[in-house]
Amino acid sequence: MKLRIIILLGNFAGWFSRASKQGSGVMVTGRVILKFDSRAAAKLSEHRRVVLISGTNGKTTTTSLVRVALETATEVASNTTGANLFAGVTAALSSNLRAPVAALEVDEMVVPWALAQTKPDLLVLLNLGRDQLDRLSEVRVVAQKWKFAIQAIPAGCRVLADADDPFVVWAARDCPNVTWFSAGSLGHLDASTCPVCGDILIWKDQGSSFLCTCGFGKPSADWVLSAGELHGPLGQRVAISSAIPGVAAHSNAGRAVVVAAMMGVNPEVAARAVAKISSVDGRFGKLRIGKTIFRLLLSKNPASWRETLATSSAGPKQVLLVVNALTQDGRDTSWLWDVDFGPLSGRHVLVTGDRRLDVSARLVVEGIDHQVVKDEAEAAKSFGSGEADLIASYTAFHRLAKSVKKS
Amino acid sequence: MTFTIVHLLPELLGTYGDRGNVDVLSWRLKQRKIQHEVVVVHVGEDVPQGGHLYLLGGGEDDAQIAAKEILDRHGVMRKAINSGAHIFAVCAGFQLLGAVFPASGNREISGLGILPVETFSGDPRSVGELLAEPTIPIATLTGFENHSGQTRFLEESQPLGRVLRGVGNSGDIAEDGIITDQIVATYMHGPALVRNPELADWLLSRIVGEMEPLDASVFTALHDERVKAVK
Ligand SMILES: [Zn+2]
Repeated sequence: MKLRIIILLGNFAGWFSRASKQGSGVMVTGRVILKFDSRAAAKLSEHRRVVLISGTNGKTTTTSLVRVALETATEVASNTTGANLFAGVTAALSSNLRAPVAALEVDEMVVPWALAQTKPDLLVLLNLGRDQLDRLSEVRVVAQKWKFAIQAIPAGCRVLADADDPFVVWAARDCPNVTWFSAGSLGHLDASTCPVCGDILIWKDQGSSFLCTCGFGKPSADWVLSAGELHGPLGQRVAISSAIPGVAAHSNAGRAVVVAAMMGVNPEVAARAVAKISSVDGRFGKLRIGKTIFRLLLSKNPASWRETLATSSAGPKQVLLVVNALTQDGRDTSWLWDVDFGPLSGRHVLVTGDRRLDVSARLVVEGIDHQVVKDEAEAAKSFGSGEADLIASYTAFHRLAKSVKKS
Repeated sequence: MTFTIVHLLPELLGTYGDRGNVDVLSWRLKQRKIQHEVVVVHVGEDVPQGGHLYLLGGGEDDAQIAAKEILDRHGVMRKAINSGAHIFAVCAGFQLLGAVFPASGNREISGLGILPVETFSGDPRSVGELLAEPTIPIATLTGFENHSGQTRFLEESQPLGRVLRGVGNSGDIAEDGIITDQIVATYMHGPALVRNPELADWLLSRIVGEMEPLDASVFTALHDERVKAVK
């Protein structure tokens, strides 16, 4: 069957799935296409330039910002809903056949497949940290997968990698065509031992640099984001700002501008476009429940909770935590004890979700005053009129984000 | 005498929220106004002798090996045991107290040899809720396990619990953990002492003697909810 007809079938199946309210339809479209042609992703990548984006945290935001940055110069096909497995990536490639460029978010474990299929121009590696330990593997296993994939990287593919993350550095440093990006860091929760030799890794300068006795260490970065300015290897200087709150969003904005520069797009123009984006895939979107206006924040793992709590502490005084432990959240809640909930101190804190008792126990020990409520509606009653932050784990966030998109 | 809890090497053995066990023990002592201190031993610092309760958590292979080497130096763990200290160990911490434990690349690493157990690599990985009937007089034990090691006793020993759901030490034996006069070890993280308040108090009572009961309903509620969810 011709690929165009297969895509038509896929789109029809996706439309049907959406119409019958079974889901967003993206996954269905991708699955149908792959069922009829297992090499569809490879074929759909021919004659176009592809950027792959992967890492534990910031994939969806970075991909969105990269799309916006590249769209200042050309049409871009992209997965905008966070569907980043085989089907999601394939559907994204089929979504705009005219686009000469594709910016694709790829799950960490799907990177080897996506590299082999799409033969990209650029692979962007953000970070690796503990995430859903019950489902994904330990951090080192993922880093090893990346390392193998990069050793067999398609000719002509460059890598843009984070110099601040020891696992990313270890995976990418064999690549002859690697560009290092640094936005500064404060250490790493999972990198206590050296990825090369297993010895204790030495962290210096408040966690912004690392070194091992075996010689492994932080590489000097080609692009550095510091104090709102991006410094390039040829002396480029680009002002970076982001309408999305938080330190991580700022560094993702900088990274997206580097991608633009590496893809031949004017970085100043890209930076201006990126600066305007204030919400990605429902994140930081507003949702009204009862009399309360909730601002939605997604938190998935210890690193993202730290980031989100820090960002939220500059927000409204009222905050609702919604934690589930379904498959997509990770069924193990032990990570709660890796997060410092201190930033919630002094705020009006409510807790709900399937695992509200796990959260409550955590907050009791931390000494944070809070109340457990049945659901968001009960929280809204308690908050009354005014604004509140709603920090949710994956499944709860996506349930609520759907309502944001509709409204 | 101040009751001293020693939290060993959190950067190496802290993959599964293991800090929670230390925090909740300290919290339970504080509620009862029992004087105590928590000493956190980071990599590069000396392991203090004279602690009353040492806690070991879970970790990845290289971290587990690094931790074992640190704890083996000058026989610090053995000395602590000989001077009457207690140990609570979870997952990788449990394994490294035994005779041998596995690491990536089919390696077998010799452990500290303090517990009469040996651990080998098993397939598939044991991941999920773990429920066990304790061999001590406390409520049903609940936790979450995530390990590929299969642990066997080298001599007749008392397990911490008989497994009702999940795997525990090894698929074919249906037992979890071990209890000796001074050591309690388990594959339950979760963290175990948050989800099992009666285990936390049992552990503390072995050291400080009988304690008054604590009104801490959230931990009991969490325990009961988890037991019910899995049963
Ligand atoms: Zn090294």
